Amino acid sequence: MTRAAPEPEDVLQGTLDMLVLRAVQLEPMHGWGIAQRIEQWSEHVLQLGQGTLYPSLYRLERQGLIDSRWQVTENNRRARYYALTPAGRRQLAREVASWKRLSRAINLVLDASEV
Amino acid sequence: MFEWWRRWARGVWRREETEQRLDEEISFHLEQAVAQNEARGMSPGEARRAALLRFGGIEPFKERVRDEVRPAIAQDFWRDVRVGARLLRRTPGFTAAAVLTIGLGSGAATAVFSVVHGVLLRPLPYPESDRIVRLYQLDQNGRRGNVSQLNFEDWQAQTTSFSAMAMWSSWGLVPVVGGREPAMGTLVAVSREFFDVMRVRPEAGRGFSDVEQRVGGPAAAIVGRAFWDRWIGGPLAGQSLRMGDRVYTVVGIMPDGFDYPGGASVWIARGLMPPDTSRTAHNVQATARLRDGVPLAAAQLEISRISRELKARYGDDTWMFDAAAVPLLDQITTTSKPVLTMLFMAAVLLLLVATANVSSLLLARTSTRQHEFAIQLAIGASRFRVVRQLLAEATVLAVAGGIVGAVTAAWTVRALVALGPGLAPRLAEARVDWFALAFAVAVTAFTALALGLLTAIGTRSVRLSSALSIGPRTMTPGRRGLVARQSLVVAQVALTLVLLSGAGLLGRSFLGVLAVNPGFSLDDALIVDFTAAAGGSDSRVRRVQLLDAMLDRVGRLPGVASAGLVTGFPLGGGNYSNGRFIEMTSANELQSYDDIAKLPREALAARTGQAGYRIASPGYFRTMGIPVLRGRVFDERDDAAAPHVAIVSQSLAESKWPGQDPIGRFVQFGNMDGDPQGFRVIGVVGDVRELTPETPPGPLFYASYRQRPNSVWRVNLIVRSPDPASLGPAIQRIAREIDPDVPVQFRTVGEAFDAVLIGRRFSLVLISLFSAAALVLATLGLYGVVAYLVAQRTREIGIRIALGATPGHLMRLILSRGAIIAVCGGLAGLAAALALARLVEGMLFGIRANDPAVLAVAAGVTASAAFAASVLPARRAARIEPATSLRST
Repeated sequence: MTRAAPEPEDVLQGTLDMLVLRAVQLEPMHGWGIAQRIEQWSEHVLQLGQGTLYPSLYRLERQGLIDSRWQVTENNRRARYYALTPAGRRQLAREVASWKRLSRAINLVLDASEV
Repeated sequence: MFEWWRRWARGVWRREETEQRLDEEISFHLEQAVAQNEARGMSPGEARRAALLRFGGIEPFKERVRDEVRPAIAQDFWRDVRVGARLLRRTPGFTAAAVLTIGLGSGAATAVFSVVHGVLLRPLPYPESDRIVRLYQLDQNGRRGNVSQLNFEDWQAQTTSFSAMAMWSSWGLVPVVGGREPAMGTLVAVSREFFDVMRVRPEAGRGFSDVEQRVGGPAAAIVGRAFWDRWIGGPLAGQSLRMGDRVYTVVGIMPDGFDYPGGASVWIARGLMPPDTSRTAHNVQATARLRDGVPLAAAQLEISRISRELKARYGDDTWMFDAAAVPLLDQITTTSKPVLTMLFMAAVLLLLVATANVSSLLLARTSTRQHEFAIQLAIGASRFRVVRQLLAEATVLAVAGGIVGAVTAAWTVRALVALGPGLAPRLAEARVDWFALAFAVAVTAFTALALGLLTAIGTRSVRLSSALSIGPRTMTPGRRGLVARQSLVVAQVALTLVLLSGAGLLGRSFLGVLAVNPGFSLDDALIVDFTAAAGGSDSRVRRVQLLDAMLDRVGRLPGVASAGLVTGFPLGGGNYSNGRFIEMTSANELQSYDDIAKLPREALAARTGQAGYRIASPGYFRTMGIPVLRGRVFDERDDAAAPHVAIVSQSLAESKWPGQDPIGRFVQFGNMDGDPQGFRVIGVVGDVRELTPETPPGPLFYASYRQRPNSVWRVNLIVRSPDPASLGPAIQRIAREIDPDVPVQFRTVGEAFDAVLIGRRFSLVLISLFSAAALVLATLGLYGVVAYLVAQRTREIGIRIALGATPGHLMRLILSRGAIIAVCGGLAGLAAALALARLVEGMLFGIRANDPAVLAVAAGVTASAAFAASVLPARRAARIEPATSLRST
């Protein structure tokens, strides 16, 4: 993850749902917006194809972690907006905590080997 | 669990919504992408192309999203079903066999069930019909009989178990004149409470008023809807009908479908007729409704107690010893119940055979697919997953079979109903209704479940390593699967034997019935049925004139050998009244009931007898071929002015005057027609069997119509001729000329015999079809098992041949396996047939249910079929080329 040029990376398996939940944590967003936000936040490293994004959205909704409804965009276009449910909020907190623990552990291992 | 269901339901109900939403989201996403591309400086066309390119295939994308929406299990099951259907398409022979077997088995069972439900189980179309009972007087021997009006009135006064109790008497088919054209209608005289008991009211007009139910009151009639529409029509007001010697004003129309009792089409008030004064005049029948909350048993106890008290009080004045209350539905279905119950059992047996056969087919298929399952298990499928796949296949088979079954059932029910309304009451109304359809679905589901589970048993014996290492074709069969298949075939053979022996017993009974000598010999004759309903004050004279004219003119028609008439034709369609007579010491000893009442009781008992009372013409006996054993039959001398004479049947002569000559005896039989004049016996004729060939002939007493026309009503005119069918129009014309108000009906002797035999023929045909189907299925099942054995043992057999086994040796080896199965099935079948024998006993005639010859033949047929089924595969085994079989691994 230290490449100079931002080249697209596949999302690590199992982390997609967490990233989607994180993207809608602050405010309800439509699918396109979620993809854009993840791309921007990751400085264009992570590019979400719609082939992975939408199945994830439908799956999360079926699991009751996000909710969706029709809303009008700033350009007066109807779009489906996704928002975290309380269950989704809890799930996100759990996944973030466990991811941080895991990545810290991995970093520790990697750093130790450089000594 | 609840959560799962909620989501599943949401997935199903929102499928449409999801599709719409998905389309809209895709188009929104693409728009956004196009806009972004344009912002980066692309032309609109380029921007759109780039966005589409990046998005990729839309359908695969949608499918991926759909996968997320569909709940996992339903989705997997649907996939299993689709895969199952594809696999089944690949083996059309197996699939067709399985679907047809399930379809025919469940179809036959459903059809018979529909009929059983329509006839036996469906409630009668009256409110709370299960609370309606028929009441019977019981005689000394516990036999059910009609009721006398005085006893009925005592019941009515003394019982508390019934909310209403009605009596009625049927006049049978009567000419109804005054509608569009004269018609024959079934006329019933009912008492005041009748419509309360039935809780059915006229749908148009009204019931009988008080004055219409008094002796001498205005005569009124209520007509059934179907009869009204067919024969009368028009406005109700002002319509009147002439029946017998009275004209009745029609006051009401009963709703369609109401035809109680006995297919009634016109009801009149019994109150119009003077009440019976004799406690032994058994002219009425009784129907009652149980009071709310009173159980049948309590009502039965009460009426029985009261009847026995009445007997104690009235002694010989009443012949009622006890009474019975019988639920109406039971009474109506008494005759059809045994036949239908037996047929239903036969259908269930056939369904079991079919199920066993399909299970066996499926098991065989499973065994040959063990290689496939082994691979599935090896690449990570759970055992549950494999079983689920099999269940899905079984479901596809069951659904397809269920459809075939529904069609089969619909056709079969139509065929059964078409076989004739004479078969059983309410048969015409039998339909494949929702109840039967639900039953078919249950049958199908049961079949699928049984198939799936049995197949699963077969699968559990898959040993991964062995199945994979040995390869698909020469693998040793899964022991458990084979045992299961063999037991299924044993069961099939057993069930087939049961059905075959049932068919054999019914067939022998049928032959027995055909072989019975009915006491008359009538080959080519036309039966003309009519009612001599001439009315008025001179009705006696006019009735005799009518019958004289009919006999004379019909007898002179060209081609008529002889003609005779009777009031109770032995094959049905007449009036079969029965009564008590008293032997007199002289022609004029007893002139009235008062004279009889003066006789000492003991003497009376010794001098009375019981017999059927028929009125005949002189030519009746010759026409029917009934032999005259002693004395003479009626002739020209026996006219109205001459002393009344009678002819008795052989069994009456032997039982009443054993070892004596009945000729010249004097008999008083006045209670049959109210004529006090005594009879002198002038002849003895042979016995005839009445109504069914099965019942032994009863004692009969014949009077001449010229002397005793009073009780002549329904008449059967028998016209003997080499070409009876051609006589119809001529006789029709004669009847119209003599009395245009007397409609006549025709039937040939053949038709009359058919009507008597229809029940037997019907059950015989059906059970024969069932057992033939079962035999075919069992043979195929056994063939399948033995052929499979041979296929499995090809390699072993090759080795045996290479080591010197002879073809004969191998034949014996394979045949013995088939024989073991056949013998096991045969023994089980014999045991089952003997155990079930009791259930068909009531339908047999001239043969015992455990008849060894029938059982032996049934076993022989089954054994031959089993042998034939094993011979083909055995011969194939004997011809195996050792070299080929050993190389073909």
